[in-house]
Amino acid sequence: MYHEYTYHDAMYEHDGEEIFVIDSHVHLWDASKENVKHEGGEQFIQCFYDYHTGFTPEDRQWSMDEYRQYDPDRMAEDLFSNAAVDMGIFQPTYLNEFYHEGFNTVDDNARLADRYPERFVLNGRFDPREGEAGKRELRRQKEEHDIQGVKLYTAEWLGDSKGWRLDSEEAFEFLELCAELGVENIHPHKGPTIRPLNRDAFDVADVDDAASSFPELNFVVEHVGLPRLDDFCWIAAQEPNVYGGLAVAAPLAVHRPRKFGEIMGELLFWLGEDRLLFGSDYALWNPDWLIETVMDAELTDEQRDEYGVELTTDVWRKIMGENAAELYDIDIEAKKRAFASDDVAERFGLRDHYAGADVAAD
Amino acid sequence: MSTHTDRLGTSERAVRRRLDRVTDPELDESIVALDYVDEVAIEGRQVRVAFTLPTAWCSPAFAWMMATDAREAVEALPGVDRARIRLREHLHEAEINEGVNEGLAFAEAFPDADGGVAEVRATLDAKARLARQYDAVEALLEAGLDPRQVATLEFTDLWIDDPAVAFVRGRSVGVSVAADPIESYLEKARETGLVADDHPELFRTPEGDPIPVDRFELIQHRCRLATVNMGGQGSVCDALNEARRAENRPPLSPEEHIP
Repeated sequence: MYHEYTYHDAMYEHDGEEIFVIDSHVHLWDASKENVKHEGGEQFIQCFYDYHTGFTPEDRQWSMDEYRQYDPDRMAEDLFSNAAVDMGIFQPTYLNEFYHEGFNTVDDNARLADRYPERFVLNGRFDPREGEAGKRELRRQKEEHDIQGVKLYTAEWLGDSKGWRLDSEEAFEFLELCAELGVENIHPHKGPTIRPLNRDAFDVADVDDAASSFPELNFVVEHVGLPRLDDFCWIAAQEPNVYGGLAVAAPLAVHRPRKFGEIMGELLFWLGEDRLLFGSDYALWNPDWLIETVMDAELTDEQRDEYGVELTTDVWRKIMGENAAELYDIDIEAKKRAFASDDVAERFGLRDHYAGADVAAD
Repeated sequence: MSTHTDRLGTSERAVRRRLDRVTDPELDESIVALDYVDEVAIEGRQVRVAFTLPTAWCSPAFAWMMATDAREAVEALPGVDRARIRLREHLHEAEINEGVNEGLAFAEAFPDADGGVAEVRATLDAKARLARQYDAVEALLEAGLDPRQVATLEFTDLWIDDPAVAFVRGRSVGVSVAADPIESYLEKARETGLVADDHPELFRTPEGDPIPVDRFELIQHRCRLATVNMGGQGSVCDALNEARRAENRPPLSPEEHIP
């Protein structure tokens, strides 16, 4: 059933130094045939599968049936055992028009997050078109799940509407509510076209106004705006509370390492090393091979000269974990000490994984 | 063109050369070089062109632009009366094929679409112009011009030949430079209306204004970013194209899966 077991006895290392990995973009979804209610739901998962196979090494690809729906056990295995992810941040995607019970809801995600609360950050979501009912739902998510952030899907369908904008009056009311509730991290999906959603609904321009109007919130633009990396970088260069989530950009390192180097060069040039967050987008891609591939990536000499940047251990430590820890108030050293003997360490035999932390704690 | 060619129609080579000028607007690369063109068939003065895009859900507006551009490019050949374009394996192939071949407007073919195709084209053309400006400016710097000279260079300071010549220092000195990047830039500068506007300067900011010398480096960095963005998106399209054409890929048609 699983591809292979490659237990990680130790944390990821870069040039011999340990890297604490917070995978800032993970999902627990259900695109089973029973859950698909609209043709769009079937197109959506098939489109995901194209992204999966297009960027996954052949021997690590899932079958379509596995891909439709996986359970919390497999997800825990894939994150903590097959890969050395230390923590994950859930980013829900509702798509209620496409799926009877939603595609990847905060309550779905809670099934795993509640089992290992110290290992996960559970984000919520809002849709400004839902009005007062939507605000009540956002308050419920805060109360029940203590959400620290929201994932926003501006291309989601609702009735006749094919999307919404982050700089609309209605969206601003929800952002005000986020600020009031202490939900500080806003993750708008601004990425590649996903069938059958409208490409223009992922236009990154609306982030600009929202970010400058809400300086107390952080805007993590997921997928760094691809295919509008240029618009994204220019906005981020001017708005200090705009961050870049690397999901989708990261797997370019597999077959297109040179392109990946260029994109990293641009991101480091315009945003710097403190405003980039790694995300696997699991289960779009598995973090095990992805983290290794990404951290093995090197800039060419030409790229180093052009951008004046370097993918050093310090840079990777920030991108892989420290930047997310900063946004979500995570104390990495305290986590390492706690993780040496938590349920995940017990279940997956990771006692040695945090051996370095044990010493530091003594 | 001779009457002989007119009577006989055209050749596949001539058609492909015309199609080579049609670009994928998001990548600013020729649809021939990108290998989108599957088939060219010539019957007398009628030409049929079939093409396939990397994904079935490529933006309908982009697909529309490529299809209309292909039709116009081929029909501009002296030996061609009519070109029929067939887009294959696309979610909206029916609307696009019918609309383009019947000469409809985008809004007629897609009554639900929010905006027109002209606006999308203008945005992408502006980005393509920046990417081409990057290459042209790099070529001039390479040829020995300094940033101030590049920023203040005017359209009339260029002599297009092979190689091209850029005149500086009050046009007293001519510097040879590779013609390709310069010509390629001029083509997009023309399409984006920069050649005929109020400014004589050859190169511009993203907003279309002349480049202040102290912002030269920043503007060139933004042009580089436009280049990297287009290349990055090209990589994503490539990967999806390969995934789509892989053996054992689940069928595209959704009906059989719906419970």
